[in-house]
Amino acid sequence: MIPLADVNVEALAMFGVVLALTLGITYWASKRTRSATSFWAAGRVISGPQNGFAIAGDYMSAASFLGIAGLIYLYGFDGFLYSVGFLVAFLTVLYLLAERMRNAGKFTIADVLAFRLQQRPARVAAALGTLAVAGFYLIAQMVGAGALFNALAGVDYNIAIVLTGVFMLTYVIFGGMIATTWVQIIKAVLLMTGATAMTLFVLGEVGWNPINLFNEARDASPEGDKYLEPGLFLTSPIDTVSLGLALVLGTAGLPHILMRFFTVPNARAARSSVMWAMGLIGAFYIMTTALGFGARALLGEEGVEAAGPGANLAAPNLAEHLGGGDGTFGGDLFLAVIAAVAFATILAVVAGLVISASGAVAHDLWTNVIRRGRSTENSEVTVARIAAAAIGALAILIAIIGGKTLNVSFMVGLAFAVAASANFPALLLALTWRRFNTTGAVAGVLTGTLSSIFLVIASPKVWPGADADGGLFGEGWTLANPGIISIPLGFLACWLGTVLSSRTQDEARAEATFHELYVRSETGLGAEQTEDGQALVGAGRRS
Amino acid sequence: MANVDWEAAERSPEFQELVRKQRRFILPATAFFLVWYLGFIVLCGYAPGFMGESIYEGFTVGYALALTQFLMTWVLGWLYLRKADREFDPLRERAAAQAVAAAGGGVAEPRRPAAEPAGTPTEGVGR
Repeated sequence: MIPLADVNVEALAMFGVVLALTLGITYWASKRTRSATSFWAAGRVISGPQNGFAIAGDYMSAASFLGIAGLIYLYGFDGFLYSVGFLVAFLTVLYLLAERMRNAGKFTIADVLAFRLQQRPARVAAALGTLAVAGFYLIAQMVGAGALFNALAGVDYNIAIVLTGVFMLTYVIFGGMIATTWVQIIKAVLLMTGATAMTLFVLGEVGWNPINLFNEARDASPEGDKYLEPGLFLTSPIDTVSLGLALVLGTAGLPHILMRFFTVPNARAARSSVMWAMGLIGAFYIMTTALGFGARALLGEEGVEAAGPGANLAAPNLAEHLGGGDGTFGGDLFLAVIAAVAFATILAVVAGLVISASGAVAHDLWTNVIRRGRSTENSEVTVARIAAAAIGALAILIAIIGGKTLNVSFMVGLAFAVAASANFPALLLALTWRRFNTTGAVAGVLTGTLSSIFLVIASPKVWPGADADGGLFGEGWTLANPGIISIPLGFLACWLGTVLSSRTQDEARAEATFHELYVRSETGLGAEQTEDGQALVGAGRRS
Repeated sequence: MANVDWEAAERSPEFQELVRKQRRFILPATAFFLVWYLGFIVLCGYAPGFMGESIYEGFTVGYALALTQFLMTWVLGWLYLRKADREFDPLRERAAAQAVAAAGGGVAEPRRPAAEPAGTPTEGVGR
């Protein structure tokens, strides 16, 4: 359906529109980015609804838009399981972390850990967790971007990656969090509009009756009734449970999502932003079924080859079909619009990832570990810009060298596993467990990160072939998602590290400073204020 | 803010009431959503046949249960927001004001005239 390596003029024109808009915003934002608070936290003046759109834009990656639509197209129900997990996860964020992060933190998740723990080890551990998650996620998105633009717009894979990286870095380096926020808001609006338009077209094709959609999709699948059952893609029950666990807890450990809560004026705005995000993300993920089942019903089994690996192109191909088909004006236009939406989607996510990684390097490692808190805010922002450039360049290099052989879904899975097993336990316990101490945090983050990486490397996904059915552990080992082992391990290491070291003098301090963190995180007393100095003490009625 | 006695603030009845009321909502709500969600995931993994059963002309048990997850997330989110607006926020403000008043800085709470500081109100405690 889509001619490969054949430049698609309409798609490129649409990309140009997205770029012009986002670069304009970056220019506007660059004038407002003067201090560290504006660079990392957009001055803390983003409103609840704005932040809700930005969270949605930060969160819904091309993996969810194109990947889940493709999974549903290929395997039916199993793809929808991801959608459910990605949404329910926000209850974990809302109940346990959103407001407390806003009240206790400054720029990075390490701020919350270092509040009561020993600065240097706690920050190194948190920076490790942040960089691991952001790194795996970033490389996955870059590889996806390269493959996608190659297929959709006919741009060479390597050039597409370099271009994505350059624009991502332009937003972050010049416009900081202000530009990143607005790029994410625009992306969320584009993505919701695109998905809604496609859903309406699909429903129109099946007589406005969703039940017809299920039946037509089932009839178009060679699997028949099995297409509407779980188990076609996630064939191992224990692995399904493990994946579900990592999805629901992992979001609460994603540094680029948690960082968004530092951009709002107070806890009240933080929680309302989660509600807005839940509304948008939930509506979007329900629509993924219309896209996936719609692609199945309308494109049928014949469309599988054109949809490419993982059927990532199922949604764009469906758009082309809905617009009138290959070669028609409507088909070309709809395809170009959806391709541009996918482009905006990737740019917004990678910008969020790079800014969170730059915070870990500049604010945590440089200012507080290497310089021991002696550097000025201005030099911190300069270091952040250099760090962002270095991280971006590294991600571009790895994506180009690793090429299309890097497995995108495996790296996204790894990012969620590390987030759930390393970042989430450490953050939750730092905020709620009085005795939790530095040794516990370092042990938990290290154990969570390393066990996730080890289990993924040892999994059957990475050791394909007849001789290695079960991966490193041999036959019968079906765990591709490490969560069910690595999450309990992360918590266990936090607990063991704490109780084994709690009698030492250094660690007694962690317990003593818990009072302050506890009262501050629950009431907002002493929380960071908005940049214009407006005092917003307590829960704050102004949002 | 520096001279707030955080330990005393934590022990204050206002703060304890806040923590108790929050816990009374968050713990059961978290337990409920985790059980409902993980139950769904376990059924997907171990009972695919049941999940594939048709309720109405191809609309399956699994899809219906998946939709209840969306509904649950929105309802539990909305309930928390309502509870936080009406119940937790006033408690948070009272607990914070009490801690500031006890530290001798800032605007004293009207209901505790005895804690009125002698000096002028310090900055940083708006409203």
